[in-house]
Amino acid sequence: MNTGSSLKALASPPLISTSLRPKRKSFPNPKFSPKTIRCMLDSNINLNFGSNPNPPTHDFPVSYATVSLEAPLKTTTTSDKLHLLVSEFRSLTEPIDRVKRLLNYASTLTPLDDSARVPANRVTGCTTQVWLEIKMDEFGKIRFKADSDSEISKGFCSCLIWILDGAKPEEVMGVRSEDLSVMNVGVHGKAQSRVNTWHNVLLSMQKRTMALFVDADVAHRERDRPSHDLLFGYVNGSYMESSSSSKLPDYSISLLPLYYDFTI
Amino acid sequence: MEAVVVMKLPSFKSLAPNAISIASGHRSFSRVRRSSSLSVASSSATIATDSEPVSLGHSTRKDFRILHQEVNGSKLVYLDNAATSQKPAAVLDALQNYYEFYNSNVHRGIHYLSAKATDEFELARKKVARFINASDSREIVFTRNATEAINLVAYSWGLSNLKPGDEVILTVAEHHSCIVPWQIVSQKTGAVLKFVTLNDDEVPDIDMLREMISSKTKLVAVHHVSNVLASSLPIEEIVVWAHDVGAKVLVDACQSVPHMVVDVQKLNADFLVASSHKMCGPTGIGFLYGKSDLLLAMPPFLGGGEMISDVFLDHSTYAEPPSRFEAGTPAIGETIALGAAVDYLSGIGMTKIHEYEVELSKYLYEKLSSLPNVRIYGPRPSENVHRAALCSFNVEGLHPTDLATFLDQQHGVAIRSGHHCAQPLHRYLGVNASARASLYFYNTKEDVDSFIVALADTVSFFDSFK
Ligand SMILES: Cc1ncc(COP(=O)(O)O)c(C=O)c1O
Repeated sequence: MNTGSSLKALASPPLISTSLRPKRKSFPNPKFSPKTIRCMLDSNINLNFGSNPNPPTHDFPVSYATVSLEAPLKTTTTSDKLHLLVSEFRSLTEPIDRVKRLLNYASTLTPLDDSARVPANRVTGCTTQVWLEIKMDEFGKIRFKADSDSEISKGFCSCLIWILDGAKPEEVMGVRSEDLSVMNVGVHGKAQSRVNTWHNVLLSMQKRTMALFVDADVAHRERDRPSHDLLFGYVNGSYMESSSSSKLPDYSISLLPLYYDFTI
Repeated sequence: MEAVVVMKLPSFKSLAPNAISIASGHRSFSRVRRSSSLSVASSSATIATDSEPVSLGHSTRKDFRILHQEVNGSKLVYLDNAATSQKPAAVLDALQNYYEFYNSNVHRGIHYLSAKATDEFELARKKVARFINASDSREIVFTRNATEAINLVAYSWGLSNLKPGDEVILTVAEHHSCIVPWQIVSQKTGAVLKFVTLNDDEVPDIDMLREMISSKTKLVAVHHVSNVLASSLPIEEIVVWAHDVGAKVLVDACQSVPHMVVDVQKLNADFLVASSHKMCGPTGIGFLYGKSDLLLAMPPFLGGGEMISDVFLDHSTYAEPPSRFEAGTPAIGETIALGAAVDYLSGIGMTKIHEYEVELSKYLYEKLSSLPNVRIYGPRPSENVHRAALCSFNVEGLHPTDLATFLDQQHGVAIRSGHHCAQPLHRYLGVNASARASLYFYNTKEDVDSFIVALADTVSFFDSFK
């Protein structure tokens, strides 16, 4: 399923090759061949969240990476991860393989507590229910958790979290939904369809990162913190006005390009 | 397994005369026996005899080129007709013909093209009037869609006729387009919205509706056929009850006009709305039927050209209906093409369409309900309960969007998932979303078979990930 690119071993969020299940049954429908689904799991760029000290538990055996892989992984940046994921999905030309891959990633996503499945955490604009929990840790990094009632949406969330969990706010803001369009399943490359979960979840991550950042900034105004005016000059590829530096900038959430953020 | 192959082999043309029907065989994909394979009996494929007439679906498919294509590597099976229908060649030709040969503004120019465009445009109004048996084509107001037609009534009739304490009766099964305009109007006027809930048969409780009607009732705004439940309401009776207390009735006929004979005089409803795009016509055009005396007494909805009689700087006098409600340049080509759609449907015959769909509907329900863990919403079909040709359903443990995505990606089957613009109804049913397969006269039993096989496969696929 992976093409033989040099990124092969890196080419998925959970990075080390392991069978998702010990044995995959074969499907009688000739349309999808009973290919072995390879899910790659890694302990370094882990899928569990920084705030969670426990590694994710899997109901399948996980074999860990060769040592040689670990070093480069540790330094993997948000944009490296994005590239890895994009190239991985690009290599999956059959839609069915993308769906399978997403379902594998879905299975590695730590479920959200019921207490986090509240309306305030709902990502609007999806045809499925998606909840997103976001916190800023003591290092100023953004921590995400997400969950959905749909397995495919969960897969999207799992990938986005793999890319963005633990990222700096500016890294979160720097991802554009176009970057993710290659990973679409079922919406045929439309980055900004209102049924596009990638797009909606990413926007929600960015919107709430910005809200968090502004809050944190207000709290620390008196301290020496760099101005974040430049940081948010561009949000998701769109320019955002920032008001004069004398007063608190108005990072109004409505300035975000939420073109299709309607509930359908 | 072979059945899948068999079904993929014949193209439409070879299917038509000798319809191959795959008997629903033993399918084992229950979650208890997850490891067992999905087996669709392939032995019982039967070849229809020559004496069996070609179905309406088979005979009309040729008019819809769009249906003859592959999607994601599979033959397209389009089962999202409640959202929008496909357009036959005759409709596309009418649209093309207008733009190619007589595109011009209506009711304005005295030149040849404008006169021709105006004639065709007004002819379309007559066709629509005849189609729903209005007594006068001036009772047909063209709008962008049914939603705009409902808003027109809400803003024009509603704002000028509703007072604090007046009641508007709706059902929980209304489309958002027949809820939200009334919410807006009730906020502005102080009128109260009352909702009829469902009975044990999962249809709007007609007894409750009857009891709800009182001297406070000013309007009953309800669907004719539900886009989720596939049930229909006895409009004629409702109209009698409403008129008894002097209330008006608005019928959302979006899901009935395309599928059956709708006679506004027989129904005796005061207002009735529908959308062209669900009845083989183009998007961008819909209509409001309103009784002449009501329309005549209603103020304009939008201001602009076409709807005025005289304009002075401080005031204007308004044109008569329907022009009063048709401000600005209308969707001329689309309206004319709607006329062509009405001709096309009438050419087949609405009775014939309805009878065929009743049969298809039964087939769909039967097949779908035979799958394990499937919950179909709405009434059970019986001798006296005829469902519309659609099924909204959920498969236990499987999100309808995941299901719809897989059906599309892996099998080329187009169905809808979500709340189908009926969130209150879904909430009432205790679910967030459902999947919906909806048919039209150009669908065939083979389409239903393909869908069922694909659905069974989808379930087994997702089960394997659990
Ligand atoms: C019952 C019902 N009412 C109203 C509508 C709204 O139609 P439109 O979006 O064309 O205005 C629909 C379409 O989905 C419908 O099914």
